[in-house]
Amino acid sequence: MSGIDKLTETLSRRLAKGTSRRSSLAWLGGLVTGTAALPLLPVARAATPHGGGTGRPPITSGTPQDPGDRASCDYWRYCAIDGFLCSCCGGTVNSCPPGTEMSPITWIGTCTNPADGRAYVISYNDCCGASSCGQCLCNRNEGDRPQVRPQSNNDYNWCLGTESSVYNCSVAAIVGVALEDAQ
Amino acid sequence: MRLTHASIALGLMSLTPSTGAFAAESAQFAKPLPDEEIPSVQSLPAQYPKDWVLIQDFHFNALIDGRLAIVDTKSPDLPLKGTLRATQFANVLYSRTKNEIYTSETFYSRLTRGERTDAITIWNTATLQPKGEIILPGGKRQQSVTYTGVFQFTNAEKWALVANFTPAQSVTVVDLDGRKVLGEIDLPGCTHIYPTGSRGFSSLCADGSMISITLDEQGSVASSKTIASVQDIDKQPLFGMPAMVGRTAWFVSYYGELRGFDLSGNVARPTGSANVGTAPGGDPQWRPGGWQVISSDAKGLLYVLMSPHGREGSHKDGGTQVWVIDPATGTQVRRIDLEGMATSIAVTREDQPQLVIARPDGAIAVFDAATGKPLRDLGATVAFNPLVIMPAQ
Repeated sequence: MSGIDKLTETLSRRLAKGTSRRSSLAWLGGLVTGTAALPLLPVARAATPHGGGTGRPPITSGTPQDPGDRASCDYWRYCAIDGFLCSCCGGTVNSCPPGTEMSPITWIGTCTNPADGRAYVISYNDCCGASSCGQCLCNRNEGDRPQVRPQSNNDYNWCLGTESSVYNCSVAAIVGVALEDAQ
Repeated sequence: MRLTHASIALGLMSLTPSTGAFAAESAQFAKPLPDEEIPSVQSLPAQYPKDWVLIQDFHFNALIDGRLAIVDTKSPDLPLKGTLRATQFANVLYSRTKNEIYTSETFYSRLTRGERTDAITIWNTATLQPKGEIILPGGKRQQSVTYTGVFQFTNAEKWALVANFTPAQSVTVVDLDGRKVLGEIDLPGCTHIYPTGSRGFSSLCADGSMISITLDEQGSVASSKTIASVQDIDKQPLFGMPAMVGRTAWFVSYYGELRGFDLSGNVARPTGSANVGTAPGGDPQWRPGGWQVISSDAKGLLYVLMSPHGREGSHKDGGTQVWVIDPATGTQVRRIDLEGMATSIAVTREDQPQLVIARPDGAIAVFDAATGKPLRDLGATVAFNPLVIMPAQ
């Protein structure tokens, strides 16, 4: 893991726990070169309007405080995700499938949990080192900006800082509660 | 009945019924079908016709098996003329002067793992066989969804420029003819390569500026010039891939503003702006949408893929119409109904230009660019994820 990767992770967690929802992304964008999103097919949403989950039995958390189908693009944590959902790939919403390596560089988004009304900071790490999962493709572009602003663009392959840059899937792990919403 | 040598051999394999079962049919056809010469491999014309296009297949379900499809847009029955390897977020260039295709790719020694090698492979356009390669140092070539600005020619196609992203940004200068890497230019904060002048390029930068760089004979920076405030990334962000009208690059913004840059000199020069115009039926409003959303024809008209469902985040969702704009007068010339969703568009340089579109399911359709009349549907027969369409001439 490179120095910038460590900085990114440290910063992400610090931001996740200690800054407001509105300011966190702006801070990250300003301070860390190149923390951004995941590889994705930009037009996937046109092809599959509802993203992943179609025709599959739902994958649920089992707790009413974390509602929704983790195989569906509409699940609350996926508000800024882009790629194959690891929940459909042998991993979970917050862990990679066996045989892959989790990228140390992540794009973080802030998504509101409809059950408790809190805004959570979500880390969208890529899982790398196995071929494309190919299941549950999900692509949302709210807030996406051109590649000239890497921290706001989801077209880069962020399997960087891993042994292999081959992309498999993406997780959506809770790394904190945005401060203003936790109060 | 006289048996040929071949039919005896087949009979011995006991895979065919006895000849007696087809005695009546044999009487109908006095001579057997002739022997066919194998092995046999097709080849292509070294110069692809004007109605052919090269289509980059991102192949998201197996990125390590990305491809380039060579497509005859006038052949409804046999549109796919051949494919080339274009693995792992590859980029492609096509030289009409040298009859070569170049792929910029990343490999691992054990397919998904092992030693990483970045390389440019040089392919013969007629045989689609490799004829050379240039290893790119550092394992740093930019991997992203296909943008043309990641890999470009300069110096009259003698050289290529490769964008790097680790996420530190730089550009590797490659002597294609000499089969060697010349050097690397640090480019912090700037992205994509737009060939500029005779030997140089421009890039868009994160502060909203553009930088133009000229190169010396060794491939090092000879001069650079920043053009301030060419885009407002927050309020009027530009799609990364422009349409070229001669040496003028026309970019379109997420909201339909058009910006022209003359790249013929050593420094990019803003030439003006226009707007795609309006139309009824927006829900909530018409905006450009898709992946390759802007193209041009030989007359300098611009074609912009438009979505009626424009909103924040819709800019990659695809569109249902193409709006044709004359940037010289700033007028909307006509609108073309695509009879469904499209995600990428390109216009050929034929005497009667064709508008070639890719649909979300991978289907390719062809329209008359001048009238908007649908000409033919090639179906999903050439690529899984056709993201970038490059007319062959």
